[in-house]
Amino acid sequence: MKAKHSLLIAALVLIVLYVGDEQRWFRQVPASAQGPGPQVECEKLRHHGDPAATACYQRLSRSNDPLTKAEGLWGLRDYDGANLAFRAAVKLTPKDGSRRVRWGRMYLDHWQVGDAQDLFKEALDLNENDAQAMLGMALALSESFDGEAVKFAERALKADPTLAEAREVIARIRLEDNNPEKAVEEAKQALQISPEALQAMAILATVEMMDEKPATEWTDKIFKINPTYGEAYETMAHFFVINRRYDEGIALYRKALDVKPTLWSARAELGVNLMRFGKEDEARQNLEACYTNGYKPPLVVNSLTLLDSYKNFETYTTPTTILKVHKKEAALLRPYFQAELDRAVATYEKKYKFKLDGPVQVEVYPDHEDFAVRTMGMPGLGALGVTFGKVVAMDSPNGRKPGDFHWAATMWHELSHVYVLTMTDSRTPRWFTEGLAVYEETAISPDWGDRMTPREIKAIKEKALLPIADLDRGYIHPSYPEQVIVSYYQGGRVLTYIIEKWGFDAVLGMIQGFKEKKDTVQVIKEVLKVTPEEFDAQFFPWLEAQTKKTVDGFNDWTKQVKIVNENAKNKDWTAVITEGTAIRDIYPDYVEAGSVYEFLAQAYLAKEDKTNAIAQLEGYAAHGGRNPTTLKQLADLQAAAGNKRAAAAAIEKVNLIFPKDETAHQKLGGWYMDLGNPLAAIREFGAVLGSGTIDQAGAHYNLANALHAAKQNDKALEEVYLSLEAAPAYKPAQKLLLELSPQ
Amino acid sequence: MAVAQEVGNDMKKLLLLAAVALTANATSFYLTVAGLGGEPDYEQRFTGWASDLNKSLAGEAGAKVDTLSGKDATKANIQAKLAQIASQAKADDTFTLLLIGHGGYDDIDYKINIPGQDISATELAEALNKIAARQVIVNATSASGGSISKLQKEKRVIITATKSGTEKNATVFARFWVEAFRDPAADTDKNQTLTALEAFKYASAKTKDYFESLKRLATENPRLEDTGKGDGEKDPTVANGQGLIAGRFPLLHLGSASAVVNSPAKQALLKRKDDLETSIDELKYKKASLDARAYDGQMRTLLLELAKVQASLDQ
Repeated sequence: MKAKHSLLIAALVLIVLYVGDEQRWFRQVPASAQGPGPQVECEKLRHHGDPAATACYQRLSRSNDPLTKAEGLWGLRDYDGANLAFRAAVKLTPKDGSRRVRWGRMYLDHWQVGDAQDLFKEALDLNENDAQAMLGMALALSESFDGEAVKFAERALKADPTLAEAREVIARIRLEDNNPEKAVEEAKQALQISPEALQAMAILATVEMMDEKPATEWTDKIFKINPTYGEAYETMAHFFVINRRYDEGIALYRKALDVKPTLWSARAELGVNLMRFGKEDEARQNLEACYTNGYKPPLVVNSLTLLDSYKNFETYTTPTTILKVHKKEAALLRPYFQAELDRAVATYEKKYKFKLDGPVQVEVYPDHEDFAVRTMGMPGLGALGVTFGKVVAMDSPNGRKPGDFHWAATMWHELSHVYVLTMTDSRTPRWFTEGLAVYEETAISPDWGDRMTPREIKAIKEKALLPIADLDRGYIHPSYPEQVIVSYYQGGRVLTYIIEKWGFDAVLGMIQGFKEKKDTVQVIKEVLKVTPEEFDAQFFPWLEAQTKKTVDGFNDWTKQVKIVNENAKNKDWTAVITEGTAIRDIYPDYVEAGSVYEFLAQAYLAKEDKTNAIAQLEGYAAHGGRNPTTLKQLADLQAAAGNKRAAAAAIEKVNLIFPKDETAHQKLGGWYMDLGNPLAAIREFGAVLGSGTIDQAGAHYNLANALHAAKQNDKALEEVYLSLEAAPAYKPAQKLLLELSPQ
Repeated sequence: MAVAQEVGNDMKKLLLLAAVALTANATSFYLTVAGLGGEPDYEQRFTGWASDLNKSLAGEAGAKVDTLSGKDATKANIQAKLAQIASQAKADDTFTLLLIGHGGYDDIDYKINIPGQDISATELAEALNKIAARQVIVNATSASGGSISKLQKEKRVIITATKSGTEKNATVFARFWVEAFRDPAADTDKNQTLTALEAFKYASAKTKDYFESLKRLATENPRLEDTGKGDGEKDPTVANGQGLIAGRFPLLHLGSASAVVNSPAKQALLKRKDDLETSIDELKYKKASLDARAYDGQMRTLLLELAKVQASLDQ
């Protein structure tokens, strides 16, 4: 997954992928762990898969006592009725926190995590030691991979050490954290408390299955207790999916449904995962089945809506690629995306010495929320691109503000995942997959990748980077908000260091090691011939030496750049040049808004020194500056100085950032014609048309001219007719028509 | 077919009128009013746009260009200037009024913010009604859509930056309207005459792009109204009946389009050219009812013939 680098809120970019995993396992706990209540008998029956559970809940639902009625209706999945009954029950005894907790658990079961949390908080306000309320909070927080979840579960256990479900929550989180040993420990403790803790057994089965073991010891026990407990396979599927082992995950969701066809949460997940792999018909079938049976969480509704929108996409196929682009931007984007897609496939095939066994599919979404739904079934994703097997879904540059992201870098990033995950059957740790993808962004072009930002500087300064053996945690369960992004950076630097010191063959060796199911520690030892501790002892000094100037000088730079800014506001250009020149190279990677390069260029232009202004802006571009306006300014200055080749190169950078710029394509097409490169001009004038220009006549004429120069006269004739149809009296087009027409 | 025939007749009428507009020896009056900015940034922008427009109009033959901006843009001065134009302009002349600045709408009438007492759309309409010339009124201010009902009149082109009086944010439409005068791309039919319709379409498209590129909800939705009734159209077409007059209203001549070919020897060629252009326009409006291959064949024959005639004329 390619994270959105510029937003702090992107801290959850990677883990949000799992939020879409709407698994509901809250209700499948032993009745003994639920505390007293009218539902206890019914839950026991349900826990054992006894069909009599339904009749039991029906009996409760007919009760005159609001709490009993609420439990009954909830058990029958009549959430509206249960909600009303719970409200009445709480009104009757407002000081009884347990009622709020049960109501909150119902909300959790009905995808209303926020409402559930409110009720748990209310219960804790009534009694800060309410173990069930703390457990509720832990469950709710675990939904969003909040690091506080474990703390609440531990507090719940402290208040009530017999709370097996709290152990199950911790076990689950530990396994999500790629810490199977701890997960097993917690699950076993849950079983000591409650020998029929089905989720604990499911976790233990998952650990074994992920380790290629049959797990029958646990599955046999589970199905002996409850023959219809499809939730066990659902739990296993969840972990396979979040470890990117999608095929196995899908197979497990299918098994869950074989055992329990009415397990709608599993069916919804099956639908979403099938959709991720482009199996749209079967995905729709499953999602519609959920919907028509009353299972309508946002995951299902959003996914169905997105499936409906697929008719608006164009699909282009080659033997090695499938490109899906929205109709409204296909004419503009396709040439650029196809070119980069082909180039990346060719490069990676050679570099990774691996040929994919089928075409790679790239889907480009102009609406970010569609991309988010495509990715996880829910809007709000802070990522730019996501890979599922050989399918990459990503934002279109038109879905974001100009300069917001580098779409080509994102595509190369994701395509690196396609290769590495395919080569290893998705058995790479995240630090390696993401680190390699980050490395690839700048390997293909030094100005593409994300730069070191103040948050990375802070992390280096405070020595907050993680040891390599523990780096995955930074991606999955970050301990501070920016840690995911910092971990992306660290991963990229780790791979750079490995490649610099051991060569790219070491990377291929590591890929092979991961394919052989070795973990990070083993792979580091076997391939790099150092222990992880030794690796860290070499890597951190290397990184610190590389970044020392920026890290040490950052505080001063921050103060000085403010002064440069003030001087620019006051138009004191001499001071801008003096101060700016003095500090620019302390932090050369700073190319965000208000960069020193831009201040200096502004100052030199004010002094009519275009040569130095160009030099500053070239520095900005070389260090990865992405503001299309600044890059276009550079191109104009270069063209005015007679260097159209450099100007064209500057606009080519813009094309990889924000290609929807008619004027830029117009200029670039003209420059390519002047440079004697009509083929490139054809692409650019085509992009003018693809931008939806109002000057159709001019655009078709320019394209015709370029085609004529490229000796593609049949196509040129078609274009010139289109030009004249828009503007019959357009003299240059008339002349070209006469030139192209047989006499 | 009935619709196509009707459209074809409209086109003939339009082309006849267009020929008159292009060949008559008329005067073009332009008045730009740049209202109060309220803060230096807007003040600078408004006067800058007005100044840019004046530069674009500097070379326009037979043009009389006036600007009222800053402290000069008072109600009295506006009314006096409009009265002066009314005293000079004849029916064959053209008059273009551009209002730049902040406007307001109180559910009854529209007003533009100017020094001293503001002037309302009703008051502007009173003064405009005294001008005999054909008129384009470009109200590029915020809330300008609120002025349509007061300003509209048969054969008068009304262009507004907003669709209603409730779109109250500061506008950018004026910036792109002015840009149309210096961007050759705005002359989409390449006849070297920028019409009010072309300028409107150019500025509308650029305004839309502006908001899209910033990923912001558009707070202005330009409208054109030239039938004397209705609320204005965002996309004037033959189908909705808007844009016919704007399409033949010349704002700026970009090259030698105004030069009339006087050579008697070429009159036959000119006649042939006019006939071909009329045939092309008629064919376009029949497109929907024709087989695509037949349409292309006929169109290409006409376009090639027109190119040959033009080549002969240029010899």
